[in-house]
Amino acid sequence: MLELTDLTKKYGEVTALDGVSLRVREGEKVALLGPNGAGKTTLLSIALGLLAADSGTARLLGRPPRETLAAGLAGVLLQDAGLPEEVKVADLVAAVAGMYPTPSAPDLGDLAGRRVTTLSGGQRQQVRFALALAGDPALLILDEPTVGLDVDARRALWRRIQGRTVVFATHYLAEADDHADRVVLLSGGRIVADGPVEEIKALVGGTEVRLTLDAMDAPTLRSLPGVRDVVVEGASATLRTGDSDATLRALFAAFDGVRNVRTSGAGLESAFVSLTGEER
Amino acid sequence: MRSFLGFEVRRSLSSPVNLVFLAGFPVLLYLLWTKVLDLASGPVSMVSMATYGAMGGALFIGGAIAMERASGWLRQLAVTPLPAHGYIVAKLVAGMLAVLPSVVIVLAAGALLGGVRLPAGTWLVLPLLIWIGVAPFAALGVAFGYSFRGQSANIVTMVVFFLLAVLGGLWLPVSRMPEGLRVVAEHSPAYQAGSLGWRALDGLPPTGTSVLVLVAWTALFVVLGVWRYRRTAWR
Repeated sequence: MLELTDLTKKYGEVTALDGVSLRVREGEKVALLGPNGAGKTTLLSIALGLLAADSGTARLLGRPPRETLAAGLAGVLLQDAGLPEEVKVADLVAAVAGMYPTPSAPDLGDLAGRRVTTLSGGQRQQVRFALALAGDPALLILDEPTVGLDVDARRALWRRIQGRTVVFATHYLAEADDHADRVVLLSGGRIVADGPVEEIKALVGGTEVRLTLDAMDAPTLRSLPGVRDVVVEGASATLRTGDSDATLRALFAAFDGVRNVRTSGAGLESAFVSLTGEER
Repeated sequence: MRSFLGFEVRRSLSSPVNLVFLAGFPVLLYLLWTKVLDLASGPVSMVSMATYGAMGGALFIGGAIAMERASGWLRQLAVTPLPAHGYIVAKLVAGMLAVLPSVVIVLAAGALLGGVRLPAGTWLVLPLLIWIGVAPFAALGVAFGYSFRGQSANIVTMVVFFLLAVLGGLWLPVSRMPEGLRVVAEHSPAYQAGSLGWRALDGLPPTGTSVLVLVAWTALFVVLGVWRYRRTAWR
Protein backbone atom coordinates (compact mmCIF):
# COMPACT_ATOMS: atom_id res chain seq x y z
CA MET A 1 0.00 0.00 0.00
CA LEU A 2 2.86 2.33 0.89
CA GLU A 3 6.44 1.77 -0.11
CA LEU A 4 9.28 4.10 0.78
CA THR A 5 12.77 3.16 -0.34
CA ASP A 6 15.91 4.71 1.04
CA LEU A 7 14.54 8.24 1.45
CA THR A 8 16.88 11.04 2.36
CA LYS A 9 16.03 14.67 2.81
CA LYS A 10 18.15 17.57 4.01
CA TYR A 11 17.09 21.08 4.88
CA GLY A 12 20.37 22.91 4.49
CA GLU A 13 22.68 21.37 7.06
CA VAL A 14 19.92 19.57 8.91
CA THR A 15 19.24 15.99 7.92
CA ALA A 16 15.51 15.39 8.26
CA LEU A 17 15.50 11.87 6.82
CA ASP A 18 18.54 9.65 6.61
CA GLY A 19 17.94 6.55 4.51
CA VAL A 20 14.42 5.62 5.57
CA SER A 21 12.73 2.58 4.04
CA LEU A 22 9.24 1.52 5.02
CA ARG A 23 6.72 -0.90 3.57
CA VAL A 24 3.11 -0.95 4.71
CA ARG A 25 0.93 -3.88 3.65
CA GLU A 26 -2.81 -3.97 3.16
CA GLY A 27 -4.81 -3.96 6.36
CA GLU A 28 -1.98 -2.80 8.60
CA LYS A 29 -2.45 -0.03 11.13
CA VAL A 30 0.90 1.62 11.50
CA ALA A 31 1.73 4.27 14.08
CA LEU A 32 4.60 6.54 13.22
CA LEU A 33 6.07 7.62 16.53
CA GLY A 34 8.86 9.97 17.30
CA PRO A 35 9.80 13.11 19.18
CA ASN A 36 9.26 16.49 17.55
CA GLY A 37 11.73 16.97 14.72
CA ALA A 38 12.19 13.22 14.24
CA GLY A 39 11.08 13.55 10.62
CA LYS A 40 7.50 12.26 10.84
CA THR A 41 5.91 15.09 8.87
CA THR A 42 8.78 15.16 6.36
CA LEU A 43 8.33 11.43 5.82
CA LEU A 44 4.58 11.77 5.28
CA SER A 45 5.01 14.80 3.00
CA ILE A 46 7.35 12.81 0.76
CA ALA A 47 5.07 9.78 0.87
CA LEU A 48 2.28 12.06 -0.42
CA GLY A 49 4.37 13.71 -3.11
CA LEU A 50 4.00 17.12 -1.45
CA LEU A 51 7.74 17.31 -0.94
CA ALA A 52 10.54 15.96 -3.14
CA ALA A 53 13.10 13.69 -1.52
CA ASP A 54 16.80 14.32 -2.17
CA SER A 55 17.08 10.65 -3.03
CA GLY A 56 15.01 7.50 -2.75
CA THR A 57 11.54 6.71 -4.03
CA ALA A 58 8.02 6.82 -2.66
CA ARG A 59 5.14 4.71 -3.96
CA LEU A 60 1.50 4.77 -2.90
CA LEU A 61 -0.49 1.75 -4.03
CA GLY A 62 2.29 0.94 -6.45
CA ARG A 63 2.20 4.28 -8.23
CA PRO A 64 3.84 7.67 -7.76
CA PRO A 65 2.00 9.34 -4.85
CA ARG A 66 0.57 12.21 -6.90
CA GLU A 67 -1.05 9.79 -9.35
CA THR A 68 -2.63 7.80 -6.56
CA LEU A 69 -3.99 10.95 -4.93
CA ALA A 70 -5.25 12.24 -8.29
CA ALA A 71 -7.10 8.95 -8.75
CA GLY A 72 -8.74 9.52 -5.36
CA LEU A 73 -7.49 6.25 -3.86
CA ALA A 74 -6.14 7.58 -0.57
CA GLY A 75 -7.55 9.84 2.13
CA VAL A 76 -5.24 12.27 3.86
CA LEU A 77 -5.38 14.41 6.98
CA LEU A 78 -2.66 17.03 7.15
CA GLN A 79 -1.57 18.77 10.30
CA ASP A 80 -1.56 22.31 8.96
CA ALA A 81 -4.43 22.29 6.47
CA GLY A 82 -6.60 25.40 6.51
CA LEU A 83 -10.28 25.44 5.64
CA PRO A 84 -12.40 28.03 3.82
CA GLU A 85 -13.99 30.07 6.59
CA GLU A 86 -17.36 31.36 5.50
CA VAL A 87 -18.82 28.13 4.11
CA LYS A 88 -21.07 25.54 5.70
CA VAL A 89 -19.34 22.36 6.82
CA ALA A 90 -21.77 20.11 4.92
CA ASP A 91 -21.23 22.07 1.67
CA LEU A 92 -17.48 21.88 2.08
CA VAL A 93 -17.44 18.15 2.70
CA ALA A 94 -19.86 17.54 -0.19
CA ALA A 95 -17.67 19.59 -2.55
CA VAL A 96 -14.61 17.51 -1.66
CA ALA A 97 -16.51 14.19 -1.66
CA GLY A 98 -17.69 14.97 -5.19
CA MET A 99 -14.09 14.88 -6.43
CA TYR A 100 -13.73 11.17 -5.58
CA PRO A 101 -14.86 8.16 -7.61
CA THR A 102 -16.73 6.82 -4.55
CA PRO A 103 -18.04 9.80 -2.61
CA SER A 104 -19.09 9.08 0.94
CA ALA A 105 -20.78 11.50 3.28
CA PRO A 106 -19.47 10.96 6.79
CA ASP A 107 -21.97 11.74 9.53
CA LEU A 108 -21.04 15.14 10.87
CA GLY A 109 -23.81 15.46 13.42
CA ASP A 110 -24.36 19.02 14.65
CA LEU A 111 -21.36 20.29 12.73
CA ALA A 112 -22.99 19.83 9.31
CA GLY A 113 -25.01 23.05 9.39
CA ARG A 114 -22.37 25.20 11.06
CA ARG A 115 -20.10 27.64 9.28
CA VAL A 116 -16.39 26.86 9.52
CA THR A 117 -15.68 30.26 11.10
CA THR A 118 -17.66 29.31 14.19
CA LEU A 119 -15.81 26.03 14.85
CA SER A 120 -13.31 25.33 17.61
CA GLY A 121 -9.92 23.81 16.89
CA GLY A 122 -11.13 20.32 17.73
CA GLN A 123 -14.20 20.71 15.55
CA ARG A 124 -12.04 21.85 12.65
CA GLN A 125 -9.98 18.72 13.14
CA GLN A 126 -13.18 16.68 12.88
CA VAL A 127 -13.90 18.42 9.58
CA ARG A 128 -10.39 17.65 8.32
CA PHE A 129 -10.94 14.03 9.24
CA ALA A 130 -14.28 14.05 7.41
CA LEU A 131 -12.46 15.39 4.33
CA ALA A 132 -9.94 12.55 4.59
CA LEU A 133 -12.83 10.06 4.60
CA ALA A 134 -14.83 11.84 1.89
CA GLY A 135 -13.70 9.44 -0.82
CA ASP A 136 -14.24 6.29 1.30
CA PRO A 137 -10.57 5.40 0.75
CA ALA A 138 -8.97 2.02 1.44
CA LEU A 139 -5.78 3.79 2.54
CA LEU A 140 -5.69 6.58 5.11
CA ILE A 141 -2.67 8.71 5.92
CA LEU A 142 -3.17 10.84 9.01
CA ASP A 143 -0.74 13.31 10.52
CA GLU A 144 -1.53 13.79 14.22
CA PRO A 145 -5.23 12.95 13.71
CA THR A 146 -6.47 13.40 17.28
CA VAL A 147 -4.93 16.78 18.10
CA GLY A 148 -7.55 18.88 19.88
CA LEU A 149 -10.24 16.18 19.83
CA ASP A 150 -12.28 15.39 22.93
CA VAL A 151 -12.72 11.83 24.16
CA ASP A 152 -15.92 11.16 22.20
CA ALA A 153 -14.54 12.53 18.95
CA ARG A 154 -11.39 10.47 19.45
CA ARG A 155 -13.35 7.31 19.98
CA ALA A 156 -15.44 8.03 16.89
CA LEU A 157 -12.30 8.60 14.85
CA TRP A 158 -10.72 5.29 15.80
CA ARG A 159 -14.00 3.52 15.11
CA ARG A 160 -14.24 5.02 11.64
CA ILE A 161 -10.80 3.91 10.50
CA GLN A 162 -11.70 0.25 11.03
CA GLY A 163 -11.38 -1.90 7.93
CA ARG A 164 -8.85 0.39 6.24
CA THR A 165 -5.10 0.46 5.94
CA VAL A 166 -3.93 3.31 8.12
CA VAL A 167 -0.64 5.08 8.64
CA PHE A 168 -0.80 7.69 11.37
CA ALA A 169 1.79 9.93 12.96
CA THR A 170 1.28 10.64 16.61
CA HIS A 171 3.12 11.60 19.72
CA TYR A 172 0.55 10.02 22.01
CA LEU A 173 2.12 6.70 22.93
CA ALA A 174 -1.16 5.40 24.32
CA GLU A 175 -2.75 5.83 20.90
CA ALA A 176 -0.06 3.82 19.22
CA ASP A 177 -0.46 1.19 21.93
CA ASP A 178 -4.26 1.03 21.61
CA HIS A 179 -4.87 1.53 17.92
CA ALA A 180 -1.83 0.40 15.97
CA ASP A 181 -0.76 -3.14 15.31
CA ARG A 182 2.65 -1.97 14.23
CA VAL A 183 4.85 0.81 15.54
CA VAL A 184 7.55 2.57 13.58
CA LEU A 185 9.79 4.61 15.81
CA LEU A 186 11.55 7.49 14.12
CA SER A 187 14.40 9.39 15.71
CA GLY A 188 16.83 11.81 14.13
CA GLY A 189 15.63 10.96 10.65
CA ARG A 190 16.14 7.21 11.03
CA ILE A 191 13.86 4.32 11.86
CA VAL A 192 15.18 3.05 15.19
CA ALA A 193 12.55 0.39 15.71
CA ASP A 194 9.81 -1.17 13.61
CA GLY A 195 7.51 -3.98 14.63
CA PRO A 196 4.37 -5.04 16.49
CA VAL A 197 3.68 -3.01 19.63
CA GLU A 198 4.48 -5.99 21.89
CA GLU A 199 7.76 -6.59 20.11
CA ILE A 200 8.85 -3.00 20.56
CA LYS A 201 8.09 -3.20 24.25
CA ALA A 202 10.00 -6.49 24.51
CA LEU A 203 12.91 -4.95 22.66
CA VAL A 204 13.48 -2.74 25.64
CA GLY A 205 12.40 -5.58 27.81
CA GLY A 206 12.76 -5.91 31.53
CA THR A 207 10.65 -4.66 34.35
CA GLU A 208 10.10 -1.23 35.77
CA VAL A 209 10.48 -0.73 39.50
CA ARG A 210 9.09 2.49 40.93
CA LEU A 211 9.96 3.52 44.44
CA THR A 212 10.11 6.37 46.90
CA LEU A 213 13.29 7.07 48.79
CA ASP A 214 13.62 10.18 50.94
CA ALA A 215 17.42 9.96 51.10
CA MET A 216 17.76 9.65 47.34
CA ASP A 217 20.99 8.02 46.20
CA ALA A 218 21.02 7.50 42.45
CA PRO A 219 24.55 6.06 42.13
CA THR A 220 23.75 3.25 44.58
CA LEU A 221 20.44 2.55 42.84
CA ARG A 222 22.30 2.36 39.54
CA SER A 223 24.79 -0.13 41.01
CA LEU A 224 22.09 -2.60 42.15
CA PRO A 225 22.20 -5.95 40.33
CA GLY A 226 20.21 -6.13 37.08
CA VAL A 227 19.55 -2.38 36.83
CA ARG A 228 19.91 -0.92 33.33
CA ASP A 229 18.91 2.64 33.97
CA VAL A 230 17.53 4.94 36.60
CA VAL A 231 15.32 7.97 36.30
CA VAL A 232 15.07 10.13 39.40
CA GLU A 233 12.37 12.71 40.05
CA GLY A 234 12.70 14.23 43.50
CA ALA A 235 12.12 11.50 46.06
CA SER A 236 10.82 8.99 43.46
CA ALA A 237 12.85 6.86 41.15
CA THR A 238 12.09 4.50 38.29
CA LEU A 239 14.53 1.66 37.69
CA ARG A 240 14.55 -0.51 34.63
CA THR A 241 15.91 -3.93 35.38
CA GLY A 242 16.58 -7.17 33.58
CA ASP A 243 16.28 -9.19 36.81
CA SER A 244 13.64 -7.74 39.10
CA ASP A 245 14.06 -10.41 41.83
CA ALA A 246 17.76 -9.70 42.32
CA THR A 247 17.21 -5.94 42.09
CA LEU A 248 14.46 -5.98 44.72
CA ARG A 249 16.42 -8.15 47.14
CA ALA A 250 19.42 -5.85 46.92
CA LEU A 251 17.20 -2.77 47.06
CA PHE A 252 15.65 -3.71 50.41
CA ALA A 253 19.03 -4.74 51.78
CA ALA A 254 20.64 -1.46 50.77
CA PHE A 255 17.93 0.97 51.89
CA ASP A 256 15.86 0.85 55.05
CA GLY A 257 13.81 3.86 54.10
CA VAL A 258 12.59 2.65 50.72
CA ARG A 259 8.78 2.61 50.40
CA ASN A 260 5.95 2.54 47.84
CA VAL A 261 7.74 -0.09 45.75
CA ARG A 262 5.75 -1.10 42.63
CA THR A 263 6.81 -3.18 39.66
CA SER A 264 5.36 -3.35 36.16
CA GLY A 265 6.32 -4.54 32.69
CA ALA A 266 8.15 -1.87 30.72
CA GLY A 267 5.68 0.20 28.71
CA LEU A 268 5.89 1.84 25.35
CA GLU A 269 6.90 4.99 27.14
CA SER A 270 10.16 3.47 28.32
CA ALA A 271 10.72 1.91 24.92
CA PHE A 272 10.34 5.35 23.44
CA VAL A 273 12.76 6.95 25.86
CA SER A 274 15.29 4.20 25.59
CA LEU A 275 15.22 3.93 21.79
CA THR A 276 15.09 7.60 20.89
CA GLY A 277 17.20 8.75 23.80
CA GLU A 278 14.72 11.51 24.51
CA GLU A 279 12.38 12.39 27.31
CA ARG A 280 8.95 13.28 26.12
CA MET B 1 -14.44 18.52 -10.56
CA ARG B 2 -17.99 19.78 -11.05
CA SER B 3 -18.75 19.58 -7.35
CA PHE B 4 -15.87 21.91 -6.58
CA LEU B 5 -16.78 24.32 -9.37
CA GLY B 6 -20.37 24.49 -8.11
CA PHE B 7 -19.10 25.03 -4.58
CA GLU B 8 -16.84 27.90 -5.67
CA VAL B 9 -19.57 29.53 -7.76
CA ARG B 10 -22.07 29.41 -4.87
CA ARG B 11 -19.39 30.71 -2.55
CA SER B 12 -18.50 33.66 -4.68
CA LEU B 13 -22.07 34.60 -5.64
CA SER B 14 -23.25 34.48 -2.03
CA SER B 15 -20.43 36.61 -0.68
CA PRO B 16 -21.82 39.90 0.63
CA VAL B 17 -18.30 41.35 0.59
CA ASN B 18 -18.20 40.88 -3.17
CA LEU B 19 -21.46 42.68 -3.68
CA VAL B 20 -20.56 45.65 -1.51
CA PHE B 21 -17.09 45.91 -2.93
CA LEU B 22 -17.86 45.30 -6.61
CA ALA B 23 -21.26 46.99 -6.89
CA GLY B 24 -21.94 49.15 -3.83
CA PHE B 25 -18.74 51.15 -3.95
CA PRO B 26 -18.86 51.89 -7.73
CA VAL B 27 -22.53 52.90 -7.46
CA LEU B 28 -21.67 55.37 -4.68
CA LEU B 29 -18.79 56.79 -6.70
CA TYR B 30 -21.01 57.09 -9.75
CA LEU B 31 -23.60 59.03 -7.77
CA LEU B 32 -20.85 61.18 -6.28
CA TRP B 33 -19.36 62.08 -9.69
CA THR B 34 -22.63 62.75 -11.44
CA LYS B 35 -25.14 63.86 -8.83
CA VAL B 36 -23.16 65.48 -6.04
CA LEU B 37 -20.04 66.90 -7.69
CA ASP B 38 -21.49 67.06 -11.19
CA LEU B 39 -18.05 66.37 -12.67
CA ALA B 40 -18.83 63.79 -15.32
CA SER B 41 -21.47 62.95 -17.84
CA GLY B 42 -23.95 60.35 -16.64
CA PRO B 43 -23.58 57.55 -19.19
CA VAL B 44 -19.77 57.76 -19.48
CA SER B 45 -19.33 57.73 -15.72
CA MET B 46 -21.79 54.85 -15.40
CA VAL B 47 -19.69 52.77 -17.82
CA SER B 48 -16.47 53.86 -16.11
CA MET B 49 -17.69 52.81 -12.70
CA ALA B 50 -19.14 49.51 -13.91
CA THR B 51 -15.76 48.78 -15.53
CA TYR B 52 -13.99 49.87 -12.35
CA GLY B 53 -16.02 47.48 -10.18
CA ALA B 54 -15.65 44.63 -12.66
CA MET B 55 -11.92 45.22 -12.87
CA GLY B 56 -11.65 44.96 -9.08
CA GLY B 57 -13.64 41.75 -9.06
CA ALA B 58 -11.35 40.21 -11.67
CA LEU B 59 -8.15 41.34 -9.93
CA PHE B 60 -9.22 40.13 -6.50
CA ILE B 61 -9.64 36.56 -7.74
CA GLY B 62 -5.90 36.52 -7.06
CA GLY B 63 -6.40 37.90 -3.56
CA ALA B 64 -8.65 34.96 -2.76
CA ILE B 65 -6.04 32.52 -4.10
CA ALA B 66 -3.31 34.16 -2.01
CA MET B 67 -5.44 33.92 1.15
CA GLU B 68 -6.15 30.23 0.54
CA ARG B 69 -2.48 29.55 -0.08
CA ALA B 70 -1.62 31.21 3.21
CA SER B 71 -4.33 29.43 5.20
CA GLY B 72 -3.17 26.00 4.08
CA TRP B 73 -6.42 25.18 2.28
CA LEU B 74 -4.41 24.62 -0.89
CA ARG B 75 -2.32 22.04 0.92
CA GLN B 76 -5.50 20.17 1.73
CA LEU B 77 -6.73 20.41 -1.87
CA ALA B 78 -3.34 19.13 -3.04
CA VAL B 79 -4.07 15.73 -1.48
CA THR B 80 -7.50 15.44 -3.14
CA PRO B 81 -8.07 14.36 -6.75
CA LEU B 82 -8.61 18.00 -7.78
CA PRO B 83 -5.86 18.93 -10.25
CA ALA B 84 -4.06 22.23 -9.64
CA HIS B 85 -5.38 23.71 -12.88
CA GLY B 86 -8.89 22.64 -11.83
CA TYR B 87 -8.55 24.88 -8.81
CA ILE B 88 -7.53 27.90 -10.91
CA VAL B 89 -10.27 27.31 -13.46
CA ALA B 90 -12.87 27.10 -10.67
CA LYS B 91 -11.55 30.30 -9.10
CA LEU B 92 -11.58 32.12 -12.46
CA VAL B 93 -15.05 30.94 -13.47
CA ALA B 94 -16.54 31.65 -10.04
CA GLY B 95 -14.78 35.01 -9.75
CA MET B 96 -15.78 36.17 -13.22
CA LEU B 97 -19.39 35.04 -12.72
CA ALA B 98 -19.54 37.13 -9.56
CA VAL B 99 -18.43 40.15 -11.59
CA LEU B 100 -21.46 39.99 -13.89
CA PRO B 101 -24.19 40.85 -11.35
CA SER B 102 -22.10 43.73 -10.04
CA VAL B 103 -21.86 45.19 -13.55
CA VAL B 104 -25.63 44.85 -13.98
CA ILE B 105 -26.24 46.58 -10.65
CA VAL B 106 -24.07 49.59 -11.55
CA LEU B 107 -25.78 49.88 -14.95
CA ALA B 108 -29.18 49.57 -13.27
CA ALA B 109 -28.20 52.38 -10.90
CA GLY B 110 -27.37 54.48 -13.97
CA ALA B 111 -30.77 53.80 -15.51
CA LEU B 112 -32.89 54.04 -12.37
CA LEU B 113 -31.05 56.64 -10.26
CA GLY B 114 -29.04 58.49 -12.88
CA GLY B 115 -31.73 58.68 -15.56
CA VAL B 116 -29.44 57.27 -18.27
CA ARG B 117 -31.46 56.38 -21.36
CA LEU B 118 -30.01 54.10 -24.03
CA PRO B 119 -31.40 51.88 -26.83
CA ALA B 120 -32.39 48.39 -25.60
CA GLY B 121 -29.66 46.78 -27.73
CA THR B 122 -27.00 48.90 -26.02
CA TRP B 123 -28.24 47.88 -22.55
CA LEU B 124 -27.85 44.25 -23.58
CA VAL B 125 -24.42 44.48 -25.12
CA LEU B 126 -22.92 46.85 -22.53
CA PRO B 127 -22.56 44.40 -19.61
CA LEU B 128 -21.03 41.79 -21.88
CA LEU B 129 -18.47 44.21 -23.32
CA ILE B 130 -17.48 45.41 -19.86
CA TRP B 131 -17.27 41.85 -18.62
CA ILE B 132 -15.05 40.71 -21.49
CA GLY B 133 -12.96 43.86 -21.21
CA VAL B 134 -11.77 43.06 -17.71
CA ALA B 135 -10.49 39.58 -18.65
CA PRO B 136 -6.82 40.70 -18.58
CA PHE B 137 -7.22 41.66 -14.92
CA ALA B 138 -8.33 38.17 -13.98
CA ALA B 139 -5.06 36.86 -15.43
CA LEU B 140 -3.07 39.57 -13.64
CA GLY B 141 -4.91 38.75 -10.40
CA VAL B 142 -3.94 35.08 -10.66
CA ALA B 143 -0.30 36.12 -11.20
CA PHE B 144 -0.47 38.19 -7.98
CA GLY B 145 -2.21 35.35 -6.17
CA TYR B 146 0.75 33.07 -6.88
CA SER B 147 3.37 35.74 -6.22
CA PHE B 148 2.28 36.97 -2.81
CA ARG B 149 0.84 35.24 0.19
CA GLY B 150 -2.17 36.20 2.26
CA GLN B 151 -2.82 39.82 3.05
CA SER B 152 0.22 41.16 1.17
CA ALA B 153 -1.38 40.04 -2.10
CA ASN B 154 -4.47 42.10 -1.27
CA ILE B 155 -2.39 45.18 -0.56
CA VAL B 156 -0.41 44.89 -3.79
CA THR B 157 -3.61 44.22 -5.72
CA MET B 158 -5.33 47.21 -4.16
CA VAL B 159 -2.48 49.54 -5.13
CA VAL B 160 -2.24 48.22 -8.68
CA PHE B 161 -6.02 48.30 -9.00
CA PHE B 162 -6.12 51.97 -8.04
CA LEU B 163 -3.17 52.99 -10.22
CA LEU B 164 -4.45 51.17 -13.30
CA ALA B 165 -7.97 52.54 -12.81
CA VAL B 166 -6.72 56.12 -12.56
CA LEU B 167 -4.28 55.67 -15.43
CA GLY B 168 -7.03 54.14 -17.55
CA GLY B 169 -9.24 57.20 -17.09
CA LEU B 170 -11.95 55.40 -15.14
CA TRP B 171 -11.91 58.09 -12.45
CA LEU B 172 -11.17 61.15 -14.59
CA PRO B 173 -11.13 61.14 -18.40
CA VAL B 174 -7.69 60.70 -20.00
CA SER B 175 -8.42 63.76 -22.17
CA ARG B 176 -7.58 65.86 -19.11
CA MET B 177 -4.15 64.26 -18.78
CA PRO B 178 -0.92 65.83 -20.10
CA GLU B 179 -0.02 64.65 -23.60
CA GLY B 180 2.79 62.18 -22.69
CA LEU B 181 0.82 60.52 -19.95
CA ARG B 182 -2.24 60.38 -22.16
CA VAL B 183 -0.43 58.24 -24.77
CA VAL B 184 0.65 55.81 -22.05
CA ALA B 185 -2.84 55.83 -20.58
CA GLU B 186 -4.46 55.01 -23.90
CA HIS B 187 -2.39 51.85 -24.14
CA SER B 188 -3.18 50.73 -20.62
CA PRO B 189 -5.59 47.83 -20.13
CA ALA B 190 -8.11 49.71 -18.01
CA TYR B 191 -8.52 52.46 -20.62
CA GLN B 192 -9.11 49.95 -23.39
CA ALA B 193 -11.49 47.95 -21.22
CA GLY B 194 -13.44 51.16 -20.55
CA SER B 195 -13.36 52.22 -24.18
CA LEU B 196 -15.32 49.13 -25.21
CA GLY B 197 -18.25 50.45 -23.17
CA TRP B 198 -17.73 54.14 -23.90
CA ARG B 199 -17.86 53.51 -27.65
CA ALA B 200 -20.90 51.29 -27.24
CA LEU B 201 -22.73 54.31 -25.73
CA ASP B 202 -22.46 55.94 -29.16
CA GLY B 203 -23.42 52.74 -30.90
CA LEU B 204 -19.87 52.11 -32.09
CA PRO B 205 -18.11 48.72 -32.11
CA PRO B 206 -14.72 48.25 -30.41
CA THR B 207 -11.77 49.56 -32.42
CA GLY B 208 -9.08 47.23 -33.74
CA THR B 209 -6.62 48.97 -31.43
CA SER B 210 -8.77 48.19 -28.39
CA VAL B 211 -8.98 44.53 -29.26
CA LEU B 212 -5.27 44.35 -30.05
CA VAL B 213 -4.18 46.12 -26.85
CA LEU B 214 -6.48 44.02 -24.66
CA VAL B 215 -5.38 40.77 -26.27
CA ALA B 216 -1.72 41.77 -25.84
CA TRP B 217 -2.17 42.60 -22.14
CA THR B 218 -4.13 39.39 -21.57
CA ALA B 219 -1.40 37.34 -23.23
CA LEU B 220 1.29 39.05 -21.16
CA PHE B 221 -0.59 38.54 -17.89
CA VAL B 222 -1.37 34.92 -18.72
CA VAL B 223 2.33 34.26 -19.34
CA LEU B 224 3.13 35.99 -16.04
CA GLY B 225 0.45 34.00 -14.24
CA VAL B 226 1.56 30.66 -15.67
CA TRP B 227 5.16 31.41 -14.73
CA ARG B 228 4.27 32.33 -11.16
CA TYR B 229 1.96 29.36 -10.85
CA ARG B 230 4.60 26.92 -12.11
CA ARG B 231 7.01 28.17 -9.48
CA THR B 232 4.62 27.68 -6.61
CA ALA B 233 1.90 25.26 -7.81
CA TRP B 234 0.22 23.94 -4.68
CA ARG B 235 2.21 25.94 -2.17
